[in-house]
Amino acid sequence: MIKLIKPLSRRTFLQATAAGAGLLAAPAIISSKALASSGEVNFTGWAGYPKLAEVVFPAFTKATGIKVNFTELPDQDAMFAQAKVAVEAGGIDVIEPTIDRWGGWNANGLLQSLDESKLAMGNYLPGLADGAAGERSRLDGKLYYVPSNWGTEALVANDANAKLSSPPSLGDLFSADNQVVLRPHSTLAAMGRYLDAQGKLPRPWIDGYSDMGAMVQLWDIALAEAIKAKGNVVQWWSGENEANAGFTANGATLGLCWDSTGYNLRKDGYKYVAPTEGAFAWHQGFVMMKNAKNVEQGLEFMKFVSTPEGAAGWATAFSSNPVGKGAADLMDPDVKAYYNGTFNDEALSKLWWWPEQTAEFISKRGEYADKYRAA
Amino acid sequence: MQDLLRRYGATLTGAFVVLTAFWLLALVILPNVTLFESSFRYYLPVVDIGGPKDVYTLANYQKFINNPVETSFLGIPFTMPIHMITFFNTVIFSAIVTVITFVLSYPLAYYLAKMVSPASLPTLILLLFIPLWVSEALRAFAWYIILTFNGPLNSSLVGLGLLDSPIRWQNGVVTAYDAIVIGLVYTYVLFMVFPIYGSIQSLDRNQIEAAEDLGAKWWQTHWRVVLPHAKPGIASGCVMVFMLSAGSLLVPTVLPSTRSNWFTQTIQVLMLESQDWNSGAAYSFLYILLCTVVVTLVMWLFKVKLSDIAK
Repeated sequence: MIKLIKPLSRRTFLQATAAGAGLLAAPAIISSKALASSGEVNFTGWAGYPKLAEVVFPAFTKATGIKVNFTELPDQDAMFAQAKVAVEAGGIDVIEPTIDRWGGWNANGLLQSLDESKLAMGNYLPGLADGAAGERSRLDGKLYYVPSNWGTEALVANDANAKLSSPPSLGDLFSADNQVVLRPHSTLAAMGRYLDAQGKLPRPWIDGYSDMGAMVQLWDIALAEAIKAKGNVVQWWSGENEANAGFTANGATLGLCWDSTGYNLRKDGYKYVAPTEGAFAWHQGFVMMKNAKNVEQGLEFMKFVSTPEGAAGWATAFSSNPVGKGAADLMDPDVKAYYNGTFNDEALSKLWWWPEQTAEFISKRGEYADKYRAA
Repeated sequence: MQDLLRRYGATLTGAFVVLTAFWLLALVILPNVTLFESSFRYYLPVVDIGGPKDVYTLANYQKFINNPVETSFLGIPFTMPIHMITFFNTVIFSAIVTVITFVLSYPLAYYLAKMVSPASLPTLILLLFIPLWVSEALRAFAWYIILTFNGPLNSSLVGLGLLDSPIRWQNGVVTAYDAIVIGLVYTYVLFMVFPIYGSIQSLDRNQIEAAEDLGAKWWQTHWRVVLPHAKPGIASGCVMVFMLSAGSLLVPTVLPSTRSNWFTQTIQVLMLESQDWNSGAAYSFLYILLCTVVVTLVMWLFKVKLSDIAK
């Protein structure tokens, strides 16, 4: 099926038309800019962040001459599905999963390792591409993943009506005083971490991510506790817009949401608060498809997003944090102030990075989420 | 075929046949066969596909009867597998949607077919059609806005003094599926109106008059004369609305409560969140099969034959 269609793909069509156009416009091609042109990179990333195409890609093309063919997908489940197709059919060079997921992608035979000599590993802020995160970016010593930006999932609270304990805790999500907007699987993890911090679990919550027996034991407890507190949930969210509507349209006073949700609501009387147990943190970045056609250009692209300009642009587009040294100074002052308001050094040191979640774990997690929804 | 050849010549006819065959084979049959085949295989990493672990199995179908949880129906507690509960909820509420659309559609269809003056009929039908020109997604979202806590319904009811405090309509006043039922009825009501309208239209006015002349009360006329005649239209309307509701993903996703789960959402989670296409495929085929069984049973119960609907 896919192979039948391939000879007619947009790219071959574009190449053919470009060749024709090239003959017609020969004088225009002999300019310094055109000579610097060194091809293209097929990048598949997140939908809904228009500043990538408006600001970052033009800056990259200006700096390197490489054109970015951008495919937008709504979430990384769709990206994984697309990558599974593309590993047979081609069409993707670079794609942007989170750090906890590339292991599963690699186990599915989708990725190739990165040539570190063509990247600038010194560009990254400490802690993002080295240390624990660095270890999680590598397999058998080979680098597979470099970060593009990072962010958090924490409490979005209404200034006037949210009842937060002191210090604010994940437990506030399960208090009958608050009307909450949640997503099921994160909520169960929040319940687990809250119980863990209270010393109410038979073993550490983190054990569940490496041992399926422990997972069932711990998630059963978290599920039972979460069901008891379900009465104050006013709406589920699965994406940015739903989370936003949960607060504005359905009147939630508290939620466990992405930082971007808090940022977008900052002028409507909501604040973004790190719980005392530590905010959930994610780390998003680039991987190279096993069958990438434009490997050099892809590495160049990854390297650009580690420079101050690229990292700041990427983080601004996502309303998140930059990965490159010197990027913070180039950030939108609004975004910078918003982050510094939530994360002081203590909150930063407490960040809880989502552990790697295997396919088996995610499937089981889905069952727990189903039970929680149905209860 | 001869007709086609005579009218368009060999080249064009050949092109028609080849294109239709391509459409059917490559875009309909082949993907479904692939999905069907993959539903009998384990979800494995790409490296293990074709290896010793890659064998045929019924395990994906068996997941439907795993994971029992405690629940209750009409106050009677019992345990049932979680996805089976989702399936029964979906079927029951799709049936409720079907009954409500029928109750709304039958008087309207009868009015359009037998009572309205022929001159105003086109205008009325146009008025019914206009909402169909708006996309289903927008119509569902419009209901989301209407039913939200800070939405227009609550603010007008509170403003008029009919309510003391706003209600969370979306989370269900009667059941957890209120908002979904409203959304589905609104989306699919015309699929009921038009088949019934079509079948009532073919009823001879004289039969209704004869019934009235012979002293039948208005409800007897409907029960004994109009309804039996309209049965094929009602049956096809019901089958369509039921299957469309049971298969809807958009409305249950836009208008969920915190306790609702539609079977299509379970399949979507398997396919996209768990990335387990094999189980997703198994659930899809199981769902088609089970829905067909339900429809067949109901048709048997109401003594409707497939050939009636085809009319």
